[in-house]
Amino acid sequence: MYIPPPHLAQGKKSYTNAYNDILSAFRRSPQTSASSVILLVAPDVDSLCAARMLASLFKQDDVLYRIIPVSSVQELQSVKDELATYAELHTLLLVNMGNFIDLPTPEWFGEFDLGVSIHVIDSSRPRSMANLFYPGENGERVVLWDDGDAGKLVDLRKAWETLEFEPLPDSDDDSESEDELSDEGDVEEDGEDGEEDGEDDDARPANGKRKSTDGNGKARKRRKTQKPVYRVTRDEVYQYKQKLNKYYYAGTSYGQSAASTIYILATVLERVDNDLLWLAILGLTFQYTTARISRDTYEQQHTVYHDEVSRLNPIFSNTETSHSLNSLNPDDLSVRPTDELRFMLFRHWNLYDAMYHSSYVASKLGIWKEKGRKRLTGLLAKMGFSIPQTQQPYSHMDMDLKRALVKKLDDVAPEYGLVELSYPSFMRCYGYHSQPLSAADAVESINALMDFAGGARLEIEMEGHRHGGEWFGGGKLWEAVGYEKEITSAKSTMGTNGPENAQGNGNDDGDDEPVALEWWKKNFWSAYDSLTDIKRLREALRLAMAIHKSIIRQGTSIIDKQDIRTMRNHRVVVLTQGPDLVLFHHPGMLTRLALWLIDALRDRIPATVAVGRNKRRDLPFIVACLNESKGTYVVAGIMASPEFGDVRRNTFATNFLNASQATNTSIQHTSFNTNIVEIDEKDLKPFLEVLCA
Amino acid sequence: MALPVPLRDSVTPHELEMIASQQLIEIVPLIAMERTAFISGAYGPLRPPSKAKIPLWMAVNLKLKKKCHIIPPQWLSVEHLQDRLAQEVANPDAFSDLPFRFTEISKVLLDVASDDLENPDQIRTLLKDLREARQAKSREGLRHLDHSELGLTGLTSMEINEIRPFFVQSMSLLTKLARNTEATT
Repeated sequence: MYIPPPHLAQGKKSYTNAYNDILSAFRRSPQTSASSVILLVAPDVDSLCAARMLASLFKQDDVLYRIIPVSSVQELQSVKDELATYAELHTLLLVNMGNFIDLPTPEWFGEFDLGVSIHVIDSSRPRSMANLFYPGENGERVVLWDDGDAGKLVDLRKAWETLEFEPLPDSDDDSESEDELSDEGDVEEDGEDGEEDGEDDDARPANGKRKSTDGNGKARKRRKTQKPVYRVTRDEVYQYKQKLNKYYYAGTSYGQSAASTIYILATVLERVDNDLLWLAILGLTFQYTTARISRDTYEQQHTVYHDEVSRLNPIFSNTETSHSLNSLNPDDLSVRPTDELRFMLFRHWNLYDAMYHSSYVASKLGIWKEKGRKRLTGLLAKMGFSIPQTQQPYSHMDMDLKRALVKKLDDVAPEYGLVELSYPSFMRCYGYHSQPLSAADAVESINALMDFAGGARLEIEMEGHRHGGEWFGGGKLWEAVGYEKEITSAKSTMGTNGPENAQGNGNDDGDDEPVALEWWKKNFWSAYDSLTDIKRLREALRLAMAIHKSIIRQGTSIIDKQDIRTMRNHRVVVLTQGPDLVLFHHPGMLTRLALWLIDALRDRIPATVAVGRNKRRDLPFIVACLNESKGTYVVAGIMASPEFGDVRRNTFATNFLNASQATNTSIQHTSFNTNIVEIDEKDLKPFLEVLCA
Repeated sequence: MALPVPLRDSVTPHELEMIASQQLIEIVPLIAMERTAFISGAYGPLRPPSKAKIPLWMAVNLKLKKKCHIIPPQWLSVEHLQDRLAQEVANPDAFSDLPFRFTEISKVLLDVASDDLENPDQIRTLLKDLREARQAKSREGLRHLDHSELGLTGLTSMEINEIRPFFVQSMSLLTKLARNTEATT
């Protein structure tokens, strides 16, 4: 079942009731331990923020809880098996996962004790009908926290219920309806085995039509029951199926972020403060900067948060130059509105680098060519920034230049085609601990902490070490503070055991397995810590910059080598070599590379392809990256949008499934994003051919 | 324990803090509570938005769960403390009048409820200045150390606790010396 948000509830159950149910279940159960309330959290910034907000709400209510990070559907399966053995479990909260999985079915959580309630706070759409409308106690205990969308799905509800539970005209026995049930269930599930999809559904009404007439059906039924009355006609069945298919196969998109949902809960409970507000802002900014929601949605939500900020931080109301804000006093932890520029992390390295590495500017100016770089310096010169000034770290730039930056950009940039360079956002002060940090920068550094694949070695540039710097320093390798990488220690042991090389190799391979499983969990926890530790967050900014540099490097080399093959329906890039290949094993990084390429190529039609009748600019992108150690390719499919700031629904989930079924290959989903799959090396070519045909 | 040897026989600051937390303080509750019996006594009822007096330990607990707002006591304000500081500096012989447990209470309130105070950073600097001024005066008191009596009016509990072991031991030593000199004469 789903619960509406408080402003749409009108007396029905809503977020607060669900939350109070959790509290009362916790307080009255005799066997209460740390495993009574468990949060399963997906590894992205939005769910991290939502989990943190829930954690502080629970802590204030003296509820013991446990957070378990889960990265993919397979992992969810194994965690679920483990959870089935916990006797004292009575509340499960799934954050940013579970919308598309049939939770009440026996395959997932249907077998769990009925006292266990399952709350799903997920921003991805579409949703599985079973989660929303499953009847009975089993369905009642699965609670989806909705943001107002589910109210519009009423006609789909009728369709689904009919298909599930009514005896259908073209069924030869009762087991057919069960097939329908499993059919719907299979259609939504991400799995490795080939499953039936729309083609089978279409075949069924056809079968029904080909089957004997009603007379024969009636004759059969007369043997079992007296008077069969079909309340549904075959046409209606067909229509219902079409409706459901249209809903499911329209593609994936994102609704309200999980952090916003928890923030609404906290508002109704009247327990909001600046920390919760900041985390909710981070969730929203994450959705916008990773192109999950469009500019319009972002602006709608932004106004809501703007009001909240002024409500909770009444001191600062006049808007002066927002780029040179300082904290008012040592205890100042307030949040302030500001205008954010589209340059990546521009307050933390010099202006030239920031513009160079931003995908928007890169595409408009054509940065990867020498000519483009000249244009960039030309643009900066026109704005009145001398070259040495732009090479200075931002904090050392002249004050008047900083103040004039936004204004000058708005004046000069349209000449180069750069419009809409800024968007409204927020920043947070940290007293005298450090400079104020903007929301976009915070999202970048948390994302970097989580996306950084284990085993990759990145050089981080230290401040002042450019061009040899003071101590001839280049950079130093990134080491997560407090979380040593086992790989480096394993390598060192291998070095010391000289004569026992064979054994050392064996040990290393043995160590690799548990290390490979654990690195993303370590990243998760270090990102979780950094949400409240400003020092860690600032250190991670350097990591984010290094990651950006590597993305740019890879992207420019792809464009230079013209590695992009344009097929009829898609553009394909296959990465098999490069210095930073290990980084792109992570689905998040691969997505970012794809987004960068989309932005970079938006206005440029490759000269090698003849301009056809259909708009080439809208071609979806497929990026594949080779993972040599595992012998697989990680493939990500991203939709391209014609305008910057627009998003389209992502239909790759079904495309991938169709292709894998057609070529009889097995694909695995490595994350909860259905547009990213992992496939064997040898299967890549046939898979791509079918996909793009 | 991490305290130096002379302080180990006396009360630790944490214990003093706990003793001070029994004092009643005024709050504005955000939740309702009936008159409840605790070990130290019955407190309540809490009816928002009217104020209530509850012990400091309970106020701190509620504050951490965001269930109340603490109203700082009268003397924990910038004007009051500035006033006292001026008095301290003006009279080098006497201590100004401050609540007996002001150090503990102000520490607890600054840690937990600094958003309920006005200008917490200024209060912090004023408290530090007060401490230094009074410390200078107690050091002066050393000069007047006698074997029989010593008058230091207006010292607060933390300060007393600080000097107690040393003064007690030195006074007993002085008594012994005095007895010896009397015996010999």
